[in-house]
Amino acid sequence: MSGSLTSIYSSISYALGLHGKSILQLQEQAASGNRVNRGSDSPSDAYRILGLNSQERSLQSCKENVMELIGNLEISSTIIGDMSTELASTLTLLTQIVGGVHDSEGQKRIADKLNNSLEQLVSLANTKHASQYLFGGNDTSIAPYAVQREGGRIVSVAYQGSNASRYVDVAPGLQIESYHVGDEVFHANDRQTPIFLGGSGAAAGTGTPNVQGDVWMTVEHDGSNYRISIDDGATFVTVPAGGSTNQAVTDSRTGRVLYVDTTGISKTGIELVRVPGTYNVFGTLISLRDLLQNERGLKTQELLNYVDECVAAVEEVRHLLVQKEVSTGSKIGFLSTLSNNLEDMEFDTKDETTRLQEADIAQIAIDLSRREVLYQMSLSVAGKLMNMSLLDFLY
Amino acid sequence: MQNFSIGLSGLNAASGALEVIGNNIANASTDGYHRQRVELTPTTYGKIAQNAVGGGVDIGGVTRLIDKLLESEIMLQGSTYEQISQELSILTAVETTFGEFAEGSGLNATIDAFFDSLRGLAAHPLERVWRNDVVSSAEVMCSEFRRMGASLSNLEDQVVLEAKNTGESINSLTKQIAELNGKIQVIEISQGQANNLRDHRDQLIVELANLANVETTQREYGIVDVSIGGLPVVTGAITVEIQVGLRDDGSLGVSAGNSSGYSLTVQGGRLGGLMSLKNESLQGIAADLDNLAKAIVASVNQVHVQGLGVNGSFSELSGGTLDANSLVAKDAGVTDGTFYVRVTNTATGEIDRYAIDVNASGASPDTSQTIAAKINAIPGLNASVVSSRLHIVADLGSKFDFIPAVVPEPTAATFTAASPPTVTLSGIYKGEQNDTFTFTVAGAGSVGNGNLRLDVTDGNGDLVSTVNIGVGYAAGDAIELLNGIQISVSTGDLNAGDSFQTQGLATSDTSGFLAAAGMNTFFSGNSADKMQLVDGIAATPDRIATAYGADLTDNAAALRLAAVRDQGLDSLTGMTPSEYYHRIVANIGQQVDLRESRQSNVEAMIQNLENRRSEISDVNINDEAAQLMIFEKMFQAVAKYLTTLQSVMSTLMNMV
Repeated sequence: MSGSLTSIYSSISYALGLHGKSILQLQEQAASGNRVNRGSDSPSDAYRILGLNSQERSLQSCKENVMELIGNLEISSTIIGDMSTELASTLTLLTQIVGGVHDSEGQKRIADKLNNSLEQLVSLANTKHASQYLFGGNDTSIAPYAVQREGGRIVSVAYQGSNASRYVDVAPGLQIESYHVGDEVFHANDRQTPIFLGGSGAAAGTGTPNVQGDVWMTVEHDGSNYRISIDDGATFVTVPAGGSTNQAVTDSRTGRVLYVDTTGISKTGIELVRVPGTYNVFGTLISLRDLLQNERGLKTQELLNYVDECVAAVEEVRHLLVQKEVSTGSKIGFLSTLSNNLEDMEFDTKDETTRLQEADIAQIAIDLSRREVLYQMSLSVAGKLMNMSLLDFLY
Repeated sequence: MQNFSIGLSGLNAASGALEVIGNNIANASTDGYHRQRVELTPTTYGKIAQNAVGGGVDIGGVTRLIDKLLESEIMLQGSTYEQISQELSILTAVETTFGEFAEGSGLNATIDAFFDSLRGLAAHPLERVWRNDVVSSAEVMCSEFRRMGASLSNLEDQVVLEAKNTGESINSLTKQIAELNGKIQVIEISQGQANNLRDHRDQLIVELANLANVETTQREYGIVDVSIGGLPVVTGAITVEIQVGLRDDGSLGVSAGNSSGYSLTVQGGRLGGLMSLKNESLQGIAADLDNLAKAIVASVNQVHVQGLGVNGSFSELSGGTLDANSLVAKDAGVTDGTFYVRVTNTATGEIDRYAIDVNASGASPDTSQTIAAKINAIPGLNASVVSSRLHIVADLGSKFDFIPAVVPEPTAATFTAASPPTVTLSGIYKGEQNDTFTFTVAGAGSVGNGNLRLDVTDGNGDLVSTVNIGVGYAAGDAIELLNGIQISVSTGDLNAGDSFQTQGLATSDTSGFLAAAGMNTFFSGNSADKMQLVDGIAATPDRIATAYGADLTDNAAALRLAAVRDQGLDSLTGMTPSEYYHRIVANIGQQVDLRESRQSNVEAMIQNLENRRSEISDVNINDEAAQLMIFEKMFQAVAKYLTTLQSVMSTLMNMV
């Protein structure tokens, strides 16, 4: 035997330390199932794994937002669809009225039915889902539509939600509107030239009015001049001699203005002025209901003519709802695709993390066995070396 | 009679050699022992017929079997090994402190959870449950930062303590080395040999080298002088003590004798490792962690100070502690700039915005007192500095905030028509820089008629938009400009050249003063171990700023808070907070990995050197046994020789 006891001890100790360390590391990997248990196990992989973990969490939170958004939109879409169906049934009734199917009593019953529909539509527009109002835009904490009643009947429906949409993160760097702005869903915003339906001879002025929906215009003659009012006679504007091509008439109750070409006015009376592209679902139903109640005492044919004209208004708001339903549906479709994409990305991220972090158990078993053999061999050799000595042979 | 002398010298030599062998065997397991060999030299007695005749054998000396170059290399590598081991031990503890990759632990997950909760809040800004979620995730994140900051701080303290203890151990060793130097000198100056003392001293030098990298100088009479970092700590039998302590900048240093300043730096050995840890690695890691905490605090606060929670504007607001003399003290991040205060008359709903210019770098920079005076000048507000904190109180009937929402009423309005319209502005400006927009009327007439339009120019006078308010525009309708500002013009008349202005604020605080002063902040503290959620927010989650808009229903602030997660921040060298943290963890991993690798290499190298050294200097029992047999035989032979001589002498005596 060559070498001192110290060197034998030192070599064996070094070898055992080396094998022991490896066995410990392999044991830790086998126990945790992970190849990377700390940054120093593989710094570059650790950096990637941490990034992937963050990415996975970010994708999860985006996915939660997307799923919630899909839920909201699906309910919104159902509501819009229900409202559209209700308006379709209203259109059928109107067609029947115009066709003379219903007498005046029948018209009043339909007016009552429209009133019930109105109540239902307002209730639908104020639907809450998961404690959030669906059609209030940014403001999801208060009912978006407030009603004003007279004698128990709704006389006006005002939007009190937010006019701004709430955007939420649905993917890293991508934000999407989460709640509908009711005023955009149930209110047309495609103002067109007003249509004067009476026989007074008045026509649309050159200016752009800001009145909305149906306006009742009263034309009177004071003996020397015609006078016009759009607030049921609360205030009148006197038409100058020869008329004006752009006479501004203001509704004293709302401050809104209608521009009238008064040059052709030749008759007095009350006539309906329609402003296409400005109707809202609730105002249209209120207007129709009141028309069918015939509180203005219109003649039968005159009433039927106006009802016939109102079909266009109902079609306008129904068309608006159908458009919103379609756009909501396509948004749901987009979000569903996005959700699938996010899921795929999440799966890929997890897959990559697993690939980087997880231990190869088979490889560990082989390495462990190899190290075990080496460890035992080191001990065995050390034992033999320590036992051999010249002293045993000398004496 | 010379023959007897020869025999006697042989007996003495064999006996001496056996003593040395015995000493070798006895020290076979003694650390630092070098085996010794008797140097036998033949002696001459005289001449017989002109031929020199030997006079026996003499012990020329007992020498240590030592390769000084090898020993020096082992000492150097040992010193390096100790340094690496020390660094590795502490860095492994640091890595464990960070605790990433263990199930459900680590700062990474808490940072992600915090920003996820903000993302959730952005989707539900008006719901309490999401606010509570933000509060709890922020508190968890802060406590994790504080835990890690405190752990690093404790480790640094431990390192300092251990370095001081190491300094004392060094002084103890140098004292023993000096004492042994003295003893060796005394023995060897009188022609003696002090091999065992040399071994003992050399072993102490090896132990000293494990504590710090040493340089040794051999002198006559076996003296070895020792220096550490160029400082002679042992000169013969004289020692110079070292002291380990903290420098003014918080780094570890060494001073010698009675000098002060701890200006010396030691490399190698345990002390070198501790100094390197304290002065580089740990300080760097702690600085990185502090930098991350500070960046998150600053970025979140910068967004938060401008926003409002569901509680709305403030009647009263207190900030954090400010330096009385300087706004830029303590790295507060205040620069020259402006912050804007919005004051609302709660009775009339009238809103006014006031600009407060902050001068942080001029000849006479602002102080908290001068800023308070400027705020005091705003109608309806009273500001003071109480206990170094800025305190703002609104008059009864007034409220204030710092939101960047567009103020409804235009400024610098010039309307020349008899019945001008009411212009109402709203929205949240989406531009990247604060700007003032001027709206100038082109055409003349009533709103909704003719070719009336508004030309919108920015602060540079460049036309940025044209707004039709003539035919096609229904008075009162809101029109959104490209930059997020909305304008609504009621019915009324306008003349050509009429104009008004509005301000678009990308940020309502370009100076960073509000965040530095702790006005409506989310976090407090500017380091990891001091980071915490502001008490007011924790107690009243409704104060979490989610809105920048005037009606408080929007989620612009919450979205911007959540967006901090993905923002590359200048203070984090363009990285996002998460990326920066990942880099910290990876860097620590790299440092540990590097040291593990170096430790393995040095360990293997030392193992090889030790094996070589062992071959030369260690006691080989087999070798000694063989030697023992040789000298035993020699002794027996010489004894036989003397017996023979005695027999010869007896024969001669019998002849007489």
